[in-house]
Formats: sequence, C-alpha cells, structure tokens
Amino acid sequence: MKLNKGLFWGLIILIPMTFPHLGCKKFLDRKPLTATIEDLNKGALDGQVLNLYTILRTNAGFSTLPWVDFHSIRDDDAQKGSDANDGKEVNTEFETFQYTKDDWAINSYWGDHYTMINQANSAIYAAKTSSITDEASLRNVGEACFFMAYAYFDLVKNFGEVPLINFPILKPTDAIQPKATIPRIYEFIDSNLKVAAQYLPLTTQAYGSNYPGRLTKGAANALWAQTYLMRSDWGKVTALCNEVIGSGQYKLMDNFSDIWREDPSGAGKNCPESIFEMNAWMPANSVGNSNLDYGTDWGTCQQIRKNGAPVGWNLGWGWNTPTDNLVNAWSDTDPRKGKTILFSGQSDGGPANGGHGATIPAYTNPDGNGGLAQKYWNKKLYTGNPPAMRTFTGFLGTTDGNGGARWINHRIIRYADVILMLAEAANESNNGAVAAANLEKIRNRASGNLGPTRTVLPVIPFTTQAAMRQAIKDERRFEFALEGYRFYDLVRWNDAVSTLSGLGYTNRCRFYPIPQQTINLSGGVLKQNPEW
Amino acid sequence: MQKPLHSNLLLVMKLTALLTLFFTLNVSATGFGQDRINLRVKKTEIGGVLRSIEDQTNYRFLYNNELQDIREKISLTVNNAPLSEVLSLVFFKTKLSYQVMDNNLIIIKEDGEIAPVDVTVRGKITGEGGAPLAGVSVLVKGTSIGTTTNNDGNFSLNVPNADVTLVISSVGYDQQEVALNGRSEVSVALVTSTKLIDQVVVIGYGQANKRDLTGSIVKISGKEVQDKPNTNPVASLQGKVAGLSVVNNGTPGKSPDIRIRGTVSIGQVNPLYVVDGIFNDNIDYLNPNDIESIEILKDPSSLAIFGVKGATGVIAITTKRAKVGQVVVNVNTAYGFKKLTDKIKLANASEFATLFAEERAFDLSNPTTTPYDYTGLTANTDWIDAVTRVGHFNSNNISVSGSTEKNKYNLGLGFLSDEGIIKHEKLQKWLLAFSDEFKLNKAIKLGFNLNASRQHNPYDATFVLDDARKVMPQVSAQPKRFFVKNPYGADSLNMDIYSGLDVGLQSSGVVNPLLYVENEWDKVINIEYRTVGSFYADVSFLKHFNFRGTVYADVSNLNKRQYTPLYYAYNPKTDVPYIYSNNTKVVEDDNTWRKFQQDYVLNYKNSFGDHNLTATAGFTTYYFGNWNRNGQSSQQSGPTALPIPDNDRFWYINNGFQDNSKMTSNSSQSEYSTVSVLARALYNFKGKYYLNASFRDDASSRLPAVSRHQQFWAVGAAWEMTKEEFMQNSKFFDYLKLKGSYGVLGNQTASTLDGTPLNYPFYPNLSGGANAVFGTNIYTAANTAYIPNPDLKWETVEAWEAGFEANAFQNRLHVEANYFNRTTKDLMTNVQRGALGLKDKLVNGGSIRNWGEEISASWNQNFSSDLSVSLNGNITFLKNKVLTLAEDIPTGVLSRGFFNNGSAESRTAPGHPIGSFYGYIVEGIYQSYAEILASPVASSIGAYRPGDFKFKDINGPDGKGPDGQITTDDRTFIGNPTPDFTYGASVGVNYKGFNLTVDMVGVYGNEIFRTWGSLESPFQRVNYSGDKINRWHGEGTSNWVPIVGQGDRFNYNGSTYNIEDGSYFRLRNIQLGYNFGRQMISKWKLTNLRLFANMQNLKTWKNNSGYTVEYGGDATAFGYDNAGGAIPMVTTFGLNVTF
Repeated sequence: MKLNKGLFWGLIILIPMTFPHLGCKKFLDRKPLTATIEDLNKGALDGQVLNLYTILRTNAGFSTLPWVDFHSIRDDDAQKGSDANDGKEVNTEFETFQYTKDDWAINSYWGDHYTMINQANSAIYAAKTSSITDEASLRNVGEACFFMAYAYFDLVKNFGEVPLINFPILKPTDAIQPKATIPRIYEFIDSNLKVAAQYLPLTTQAYGSNYPGRLTKGAANALWAQTYLMRSDWGKVTALCNEVIGSGQYKLMDNFSDIWREDPSGAGKNCPESIFEMNAWMPANSVGNSNLDYGTDWGTCQQIRKNGAPVGWNLGWGWNTPTDNLVNAWSDTDPRKGKTILFSGQSDGGPANGGHGATIPAYTNPDGNGGLAQKYWNKKLYTGNPPAMRTFTGFLGTTDGNGGARWINHRIIRYADVILMLAEAANESNNGAVAAANLEKIRNRASGNLGPTRTVLPVIPFTTQAAMRQAIKDERRFEFALEGYRFYDLVRWNDAVSTLSGLGYTNRCRFYPIPQQTINLSGGVLKQNPEW
Repeated sequence: MQKPLHSNLLLVMKLTALLTLFFTLNVSATGFGQDRINLRVKKTEIGGVLRSIEDQTNYRFLYNNELQDIREKISLTVNNAPLSEVLSLVFFKTKLSYQVMDNNLIIIKEDGEIAPVDVTVRGKITGEGGAPLAGVSVLVKGTSIGTTTNNDGNFSLNVPNADVTLVISSVGYDQQEVALNGRSEVSVALVTSTKLIDQVVVIGYGQANKRDLTGSIVKISGKEVQDKPNTNPVASLQGKVAGLSVVNNGTPGKSPDIRIRGTVSIGQVNPLYVVDGIFNDNIDYLNPNDIESIEILKDPSSLAIFGVKGATGVIAITTKRAKVGQVVVNVNTAYGFKKLTDKIKLANASEFATLFAEERAFDLSNPTTTPYDYTGLTANTDWIDAVTRVGHFNSNNISVSGSTEKNKYNLGLGFLSDEGIIKHEKLQKWLLAFSDEFKLNKAIKLGFNLNASRQHNPYDATFVLDDARKVMPQVSAQPKRFFVKNPYGADSLNMDIYSGLDVGLQSSGVVNPLLYVENEWDKVINIEYRTVGSFYADVSFLKHFNFRGTVYADVSNLNKRQYTPLYYAYNPKTDVPYIYSNNTKVVEDDNTWRKFQQDYVLNYKNSFGDHNLTATAGFTTYYFGNWNRNGQSSQQSGPTALPIPDNDRFWYINNGFQDNSKMTSNSSQSEYSTVSVLARALYNFKGKYYLNASFRDDASSRLPAVSRHQQFWAVGAAWEMTKEEFMQNSKFFDYLKLKGSYGVLGNQTASTLDGTPLNYPFYPNLSGGANAVFGTNIYTAANTAYIPNPDLKWETVEAWEAGFEANAFQNRLHVEANYFNRTTKDLMTNVQRGALGLKDKLVNGGSIRNWGEEISASWNQNFSSDLSVSLNGNITFLKNKVLTLAEDIPTGVLSRGFFNNGSAESRTAPGHPIGSFYGYIVEGIYQSYAEILASPVASSIGAYRPGDFKFKDINGPDGKGPDGQITTDDRTFIGNPTPDFTYGASVGVNYKGFNLTVDMVGVYGNEIFRTWGSLESPFQRVNYSGDKINRWHGEGTSNWVPIVGQGDRFNYNGSTYNIEDGSYFRLRNIQLGYNFGRQMISKWKLTNLRLFANMQNLKTWKNNSGYTVEYGGDATAFGYDNAGGAIPMVTTFGLNVTF
C-alpha cells in the first residue's frame, strides 16, 4: 500500500525525535553520583573501624551531656551546673535519682552504645567474610573488639542485664533479643578484650607516624583491668595493671594540670599519662565551618557558661561543675583542688595551676543575672581552653555561634587509674606494701613531686587494710574528681546508699531502667529492669 | 516598582516583534478549484468520495445525511484534476448540486431545494466575553441551507424568506435557535455549555468526551482560579472538588498540602501534576491567569495510565490556547490587602510577671520568692503585632491570542506581587506563557508551548511568628537611638538599634525576631528561573490514525545568596549597645533541576457499526536530575581585616574580602529515569455500554535491575441507562449513567518517614562528616547511611470505585456520587531502628485502606434572561485505616515524635487512622498530696506533685486494663488528624450585569495537636500562652491547666491537653462583579469590561486556639499547630478588560 502524504511527512519529522534513549538499559542504569561502600576497598574494613572512633567522638551518648549525666553528675561531687533555667529535667533525673525511661539523655545513651556495638559487629563480619590475615586488618579487628568491650562495659555498669548482640544485624528483627545475664556480658567483654590485647600494637607507631592516640594493647589491658575491678577480681586486676606498667609505655605527668593542656600545635593531646583518649580537633579558623569541624561537644559542654557575664565569657554550656560538698570536703592544701576547681570571681591561678592568667567573672545568683550562675566550674576542661586556642580556631566566646571548645580530647583512661587500681587490688589481696607504694606515686605527683619528706599530702604508710582502703577511696575521689569514676566506685564499694541517700539514692538506682522506646521496639521480648 | 514595570514593558515590545513574524505566516486561501485531486474509487457512496476529497484539500462539505442521492454509489478515476471538474463528475448522475461558501465550505443540495432567494441575512456570532466565534455552524431550521462564520465571527447567508429560524451551534456551546422575524441582521451571543456530561476532559495522553469515560474526572474552569488572590493556583481549589483535600499555607507562594482520596502512603502522598502533558511535582511556575482548565483525576480507570506515579491522583492542567477568531487582547489587574484575623493569645507583661514569680516560688529545685530583676524591662509589647502588618497583593496580566486557518497562538504575560502578613515577607513573580500551533497541511500539525517564570522568593520569615510568641512582653519592640561606632568603619554615628533579650532568662532558642527581620530581610537574593517547554508534531494518517510525538524539557535554577551584615543590639537591662552580628559572611546556594520527558502516542479511532473504539498505545521516558552546589565565605579575621561590604556587588563566595581558609564548598546531586510503555482502549456499544481499559509498564532506574519493571492496569465499565428504551419515557432523568472501575496503581515512593527522598534506595551513600581524628590528623571513615534492600519494589494501590452520574429536572440538576475504596499494598517503609543502634532500611510490607463516599450536586436555573442562579455543593466522607505494617518494624508501629523528646507523637499503627495522635488522657489536675496518695502511682514517667496532670490509668503491661499504675502503657490514641468529612458549597447569582458568588468550605471531625504553650523545651524560657492565666495555683484553682513550671516535666508529656478540635466552617470567597453592557463599552472599542471585588477567608468559625485551623504536614505527621501558619483574610479589587 502506498503511504499517504501525511504518514510520509509524519515519519520524516518523528523519526529524528525518537533517536535518544533507545538503549534503555543504559538509560536506566544509574548509580549514585557519590561514593558508596562498594566503591571502597576490602568491605571498607579500615573505614568501618575508623568510624568507631567517629562514633565515640560525635555521638552524644559518648561525647557530651548524656555521658556526663550518667557518669559524672550522678555522684555527690559533680552537679549539672549551667543555670537554674537550663536542663531542669536533668536535675530531677540524675541529681535526685528520679530516673525516667524516656528522655533524650537515656535514649541517646542507649542508642549510641548499640550504634557502636553494631558498627563493631559489622566490621568484624567484614573481616571474617573476606578472611583477612594481614597484620593491619588484624589490628582493625582488635580495634573493633576493643570498642565492643568499651560499649558493653558502659552498658553493664549502668543497666546491668542488657541484650547481647554479637553478630551483624542483617534483618531488623535480628536486633530483638532478650537480656543476657551480667556474667554472660562480662564473659563477652573478656573475649573481646582478649582479642584486642592480642592484636593491638604496643605503640601507635605500628599504625604509622601520624596516628597518636590510636588504640594500643595498653588501652585494652587497662580497660580490661577496669572491668575486673568492677567485678572485684583482684588477681586479674593486679596482673593486667602490672602488664600495663611493665610495658614501660606510660608515665605520670609531673604537673597534674599538664594532663589537660591543649595547644594549637596539638601538643598536650595523648600525653605520656594517657592510655586512651577520644581525639578531637578543630583546625585554624574552623569556627562555624562544618567542613573543618572534627570536634566534639565534650569540651564545649563543660566550659564556663556566660549568662550575665561580660562579652568574651561565652565559653560553653557550663555543665558538670563541682558541688559545695566536694569543695568543702577537699583540703585547700591539696594542690589538685586548685587545678580541678575553678572559682567564680577569682583568678584562674595562671599557667602553673592550669589557668591562663584571667580573672573569672563573679557568681551572682542561680539565674545568672548580671554575672555567672555557678560558684565553681570544671577546671580540668578549662585548662584545655587557652586563649591561644580560641584565637587559633575562632571560638572567641563573644557571641552564641563562636562560644565553645570543640577541640578538647576526652582523657578516658589515665595511667593514674592503673596505679590506683593496682594499689586497691594489692590492698584487697593483703599486699599492703604494694598498695602503699602505688598510692604514694599518685600523692607524690599530686604534691608536685616534693618527695617523701613533704608536708603537703604527706606519705600514707600502710597500717591496716581498712585504713589503706579508706585512703585509696579518698585518693580516687580527689584524683578523678569530675572525670566520671566516682558514681561507679561508690556502687562497687557499697558506699552509694550511705553517701548518696540524701540526694534520693536507693539501691535500685545503681541500675538505670532500660529506655521505654527500646522496650517498645522489642515487642515484648525485652523486659524492663525488674526494679523499675 | 519602577524596575519591574520597565522590564515588563521591554519584554512586551520584544515579543510583539516576534509575534509579527507569526502573523506573516498566515496563508491566504487559494481560489476555488485550483486544488488538484487524484481519485480512484469503485462503487463508493458519494458521501465517502467527498470524505476522500476532504482528506486531500482544505475544503469541507456540508450536506443533509437524509439526502437520497448522497448514498448513490459511483466509480471514478481522475488524475490531477481540478476540484470543480471532479465535483461535476461526482454529481453527474444525481439531482445534487453544490454551492461554494466562505471558509472553503461547500454546501451540497438537491436541485430545486432552495426556493428563489429572497433575503440575505448577515450576522455576528460571539462567545464568552463578546469575543467573536469563528467556525460556528448556522443552519436554516428544517433545511440543509447553512454556512459557518468567518474569523471575525461574521456570516452571510441567503435564506428563502425573512421568517425562517436559524439554528446556531458550535462545539462547547449551547445550541441556540433564533427566529429572524423579518430581520436581515442578527447578533447572537452563544453561551458556554454547562452540561457536565458533554465536557471534553483531559485524560492521560489525550483527551476524551466525559460521556465516553467510566471514571471520575472533575473539570474546573481556569476562571475559578484566575481572579482569586492566590499566587499558587492549587490553593483556589479548596472546597471545589469532592475527594480533593487542600490544606492551605499562609506563606506567599508556598504549595498547599494536597491529598486526593485520602493518605495512601507513608511516603509520597502529593498528587502528580501534568501540565499540557509534562509530569511535574508542582505548578509554581504557572500563572493562574494562563490556565484554561484544571482536571482532577481520582479513580483507577483514569489513573492506571500514569503508572508508577498515578496512585496519589493527578491534577492535569491545560494552559490557554488561542480560540479560533480574531486577535483578542485581555488585560486584567487586581489589587488587594491581607490581614491577620485569628491571633493566638499570650500573656502580657503583668501576667508574665505574675506567672513567672509564681513559677519561681513553686520551683522544685530552687524555690525563691526573691522578685525577678526586671531592670530595663519595662515594655508591654504585643509581639505578634510587632512582627505583623497589612500585606499587599497585586497582580497584572495581559494576554494576546489569535488564530488563522493555519496558525494559532497565545501569549500571556503576568506580574504578581504577594506580600505576607509578616513584615518584609514578599514574593514577586514574572510569568510568561507562549504557545503556537502551526498546521503544515491538513494532516500535520506542529506546535510548541513555553512557560517561563522568574520568581523572587520571599525572605524566609516562617520562623517569625513562633519566635515572636516566645519573647517576654517586657522586651521593647521599638528601636532605640544610640551613638555608636560604625561597624563598617572607624567613624561613629547615630543608629536605631533593636533590643536584645535578657540573656540570663531567655537565651538558647529564643531571639528577638525583629533583630533578624529588620537587619537581614534585604540581605538575601533568592531568585528562581524556570523554563518549561515542549515541542510536538501531530500527524493524522490512514483516516483513523493519529500519531503525536512530544519532547518536553523543564529546566530551572534557584540561586540564593545571603549576606550576614554587621549590626548592633542593645542589652535591655543595662541599656548598652553591643555588636550582635560581628562577622560578615556570604552563603551561596545554587540548585539546578533538569527534567526531560518524551511521549510517543499512537491513537486509533474508528466505528464499526454500533461499536465505537478509541485505542491508544504509547512509549514514554522520563529523566530527572538535580545538582546542588553551595558554599560560603566569611571576612578575614584580625584587627585590620575589612568586613565584606553591605553591597550586593560583593555577595558572592569569592568577593575579594573573604578569608580563603574559611571558605567551604559542598555539592549534592542525583538522577533517576523511567522508561514506560502504555496502552488504553475506550470502547462503547451504541453509546450505551462503555468499557475502558488501560495498562502501563514502568521500568525505573531507582530499583535493582532484576525487579526494575512493574505493571499497572485498570478496567472500567459504564452503562448509560437513559439510552435504554425503558428509560426513554422517564420524565425525571435526562441522563443517568452507572459506572465502576477497578485497577492497580503505582506509587514511586522512596523516602524517610518525613518524606525526604532516598534517591538511590539500592545504593546507600556514605554519610558525610565521618572522620577519625588522631592528634591533629584527620582520616575519612566509612559509614553507610542506610542498609540497601535488594528485594525492593514500588508500593501499589488496589483501587475500585462505583457510582453514578445523573441529570434531572430538564438538566437543571446534576448529581454525581461515588463510593471508592483504595488499598495500598507493600507499603514502602523506611524502618527506623536508631533506638536499637541500627541503621535504617527500606522494606515493603503493610497495607493502608482509604475508603469513602463523594457526592456532588449542582443546580442551575435561569429565572429570566436577567436572573440566573446556580448552586453547587460537594461532600466527601473519608475513612483511613492502617491494616498492617511491615513485619520488619520492630515496634509494629511507626512513631513520629516532636518536641520535648517526642512528646508530640503521632502513630501510624494497624487498626488506626494514619498519623493518629498518641499520648495520655488527662483526667484532671492533682489538687493535693492526699489526692496523689489516693491515686495510681505515676512515678515511672517522672516526678510529680499537686498541680500536675492526673493521667488516666487505662492499661498495664499485660494490656488488660487498669493496673493501678500510670506508666507509658497508659498512653493511647487521642486524636485523628484526618477529617471525617469535608464539604464545600457555592452559590452564584447573576442579575443583569451583576454576579455574586459565595464559596464556603468546611471540615468536620479531625483533631489538631497543639505544641506551643504546652510542650516547650526545657532549655527555653518562653512567654506564657494566654490560657495559663487560668492555671492551677492552689487546691481547686484549676482542673485542666497545670501548674506553671518548666521543671515540672511531668506535664510536658503529650496528652489530651494538647488536642484541639479541628472542625471548621469558612466563608472562603465572596465575590461581587459587574460586567458592563456591550452598548456602553463598545464606544471605547471594548468587548468586555468587568469590575470585581473579592474577599477570601472572610470568616472562619473554628474551635482551636491557633492562628489558623489548617495544618499540613507529611504522610505520617500532619495537623500539628506549632504556633505558625497564620492564614490571612485577603480583600482584592480587580478589573478585567477585553478588546
């Protein structure tokens, strides 16, 4: 049949229009225009492990207020701080022990810990499925196991029985697990730290020259010792502490304040006393620049809060401050007191005492009208906030947006803790001489290394186990004030009821209730902590 | 205003020049008989032969089908013969002869049929607004004598005598009969047909007569939207269409929240917009004045053809095309103003002082009776008044259209200026619409459409109303004059400075909004350009076939540059100014979208005896790409550094003042594409029984290759009962059609629960910002954003409807009623498992059902030629129920929580409507410790005391009723944001030149979740809401409003205290217009002149305490009153001129 005129013209016009996209397959194959995990090497094992450090630094449950709420302000020596109008619910929940099952602090603390656990599981799974044997990848496995143990130790201390997830979650329903017993969780922690201690290197040099603060065998052993201390397993504590000490990698800093120093060159971070630090950094002029923000709220949340003070004092949120109870209990003769507590209205003590030569604005009232809202502040964190860092980063404290100290590392495990753990384990194992000798290391350093004849913080010789026990308890209280040890120490010493009952503490408060969201998510599989 | 007007004028001039070019394309008709014909027919009826000639020439034949000789069969072979010769051969053996009229029309008549010609009648036929109508058929009643009008609407006809009656008809107009009664000059104005059943409606990939369809399509005339003060035309549809829910937004230009026949998904719920064929997700670039009609497609038989985008319903827009006739110029302008009508109630200064003193005295942890120090805080500011104003609305449009036999064009230009009621909030739009269709020959048409817009987006003031209500009234809203150092230089000068806040009391999250609004409103340049165009070729061939190929492009760019200036605030307590903004900064954000679509559609239309068939097949592809780049730079630091000047010359990232070390840049980009084939058949038997069927296969780049293709289909049937013999004698029904359809529709949704799209559901991106730090060394870490699901597919909606359409009482009453049922299957759910420390994952599973009834009715009556009345009403009953949810969701429910750790919770849970509000039931207030002791223990949800809420004990952990404890198990479903029914009505009265329309709209039975004044953040001290005056402050003082106290977090749990009734009834529009009589305006050479006044949102009867009663949102969280969204009353006056 002859084509008619219309059809002919139509084809002339339309055929050229139909040429694009005839190759449909190609037209439909579209991958993201940015990298996916498939584009990375080896299931991104190293990348996934590095992400564990990111989680530690950026997730609130490890790096800011929720961690501070759980670990520090629950004790008798630290309090919420800030001002009377800020975070009132935290007063109720953590200062007066009216724990709540549904709040930002509890929800993010729980969720962030399981985020770390799931990321660690995913990394270990990637290592297993690609059957790696090279040293670098085995180190990665060691790192993942360390973080797994770190997260579970926090959980078992705070909640007691929790679900044990030791496999990668491939289906959402996999995550619904009942609680495991406390011994089972410690068993899992032990198995992870065993692997970590085996594969982690003695020094960070093994990773290369630019990895200060990356995980070491010492960190694994020190954490392991902490977990045995919580279980009062003195033999294991002694053995692990001796291994850390015997490695010769760590020493006490001469000046107590030097532990917390920060500097534009990065000096002060990961000092010889540091066994495990959460590392953070803000490069030059990085204020307000999210692309250059490698920081954390850890430092910001514990700096002076401006309220009605003059411009330039907006350093942070003002949380985790000393209580009157701590100030009154602590002798002024202990040089650590002036290096731990910053007093409103007074000089900051200058560089020798962890200050910067400034005078702190005066305290006025809990509202902070016309001045500061707290009498005392956390000086350990203030030490890390020198004017040089403020100028360098641009966190000048003059307006809302540029107040903060996001570069400060969290000193998580210090060598001093290893010494005092050894002292305590020795004393409980009836080895008074070792206990006294190790206690003396800490007291002598605290005095400014004045030696055995000093009158400041004098030597405490061993007399009785009970006296030595009290001396070690006191030493831990002051050495680690505001660092997040005391609440758990009081619990394991069975001193919590006597010390904290005035604040509302009862025995069930040693464990926090599991967040309601999580209970709901489990559809009845996960049961609430029976005491709550 | 100078600038835009000027550039408008320039544009008009340029386009006029362009248009002149098109006029010259008009081809003048060639003399009769010059066309050459080739014919080879054997024993063909003369009628058929004439049709063949019609196919080859521009001539058309007009004859009476009853003529005997037209059925004569002839055989004929001619080659390249002139038409006159061919016609002589055709009619050689018959009694027929012909007469050539204007417009290439040839009238065929029987010899001797026409009596001796006595009279020549001349006349003019006009349509709507006095515009001349071309191509109108004019016949002498009872004969085959007739003609059609020319381009000027004129006709001339020889009639047997001056007493005949003329029958005047044209498609789309009511037929009229005019008795000459001796006249030889007539002038007839045709009236647009209002018979809904005869409407031509847009369906996917074509159009059809509504009578031939089995589905539910509602057509709204462009006139309904063009004289309303809404820059977004969809806003004007509120209350007009059954099954269409429109929840408006008070910000100028913002899209309303639209849902068609319920909330069918937990992801994407917005309808698909199809503008002259191109798929779109909004119509922000369209001028309401350029819209010819809007069709709402709701049922499966209309929607299946849209495949993976059809399930949420379709709003099809047809822009204006030239009507046949001479050049018509239409100018309209409207001016108006907007006012805030329903203010929220807040404490004034003395009330604030009383309440705050009481709160301090009752404080849990730090009670004090020391009076708060209000030094310097002496004002009594109404902060809502301080930030709002009367906004102005202005719209100006001109359109030119014209057509000739070969060419049709339409040009529209518009300028809109729309101010919000919040200070400095203003939207400006310039809009262009241009279309042209050129007939290459009888078979081929080429055409293009172009819509272009330039839009100046308003300074983002959406936060202002919420900020304003937070500031304590003691802070002054008035600027104060200080002598200060010029922040940009070394000199000093007097400056008017706004107050900062009392930072001791109001700091984080509370700001004086005037500081930002007044200092920064003009420091942002936010301009969007959009060009949407298409080119098509349309070919008719082999008699019954038509092929149309269209390529579309939608290219747009949004560039936003924002400058942060230096400015002061003063401390209200010390009266000392301080630099509030001390660092100049430029942020630039550049977004480009490219969307391409191509459609190839083949149509076949034929009748086989009583069988009528229209079949369609098509192939279409779609591509979407978005590229975003953004960056910022700030000034150098140090004492000698210069700020970036307050001059838009420098508002770029590289401005010469920037600190290179502080510059940042980021980008994000994504693409997707689909390839589809489609088919449809519209069939009817004797115009009595109708069958519609459609099918579409979509392949999408967003799904893994193995499951890339998905199919959608629908079938529909209808029965026009009035065509049956047994109905022929029915006096009641003029028209009655029963109809029903069933189909499976698709919804391409891949998003997080809040609707944020996941562009590559199968390939998760790595999260940005994952870095490990060691010392000062930074290493990139790998963190996937979510877990991919290889089994993913699009969710489907199984839908059916059944209903009827009827006309009765001489077509005065039209009723349409439908029952619909839509069940969404395989809901695509982003399972969130953060509480388990897990990443999110998209899964399929779960089902939602939406069902209900829609009834609409209209009554039109002409009481006399001067008075006519029309009544319209519609009502939609809608039920929504979640049947199941994905098994992978650990909780079994989807929860969306906002404010105060998610206290404002909406739950999507099986057995309940989507997005139901969830919380405690307030039984009252604990009046005393004795009452607390006598009540179930509530300590598990927080500390509490007298003055706090007494929540109802309804359940325990076993789910078996009250257990004597108030725990989280006592939360329940406390409200449903979806109305039980929505309704709209309008009344229209025309009396002589006056016309009055009143539109009403209402919803009933939904709830609103109020978050302000009840769920404040523990970190923020905000002003008290008005209801706190009646708070509990001692035994017996209140049993509903709790004690004031930010420490009493117990009361900050979501509860029935937050729930308000969302029912309302609104006078949506009242419009009074006057059309001047033709006689009066013809001396000014006008064909139409209309003046009108319009009032929108004149009055709303409502029961809630917010600024408005309309709160949109996303699929699973909507109906939240967050102290914003004020919808103003708008009064406009307009003028419409046609010449």
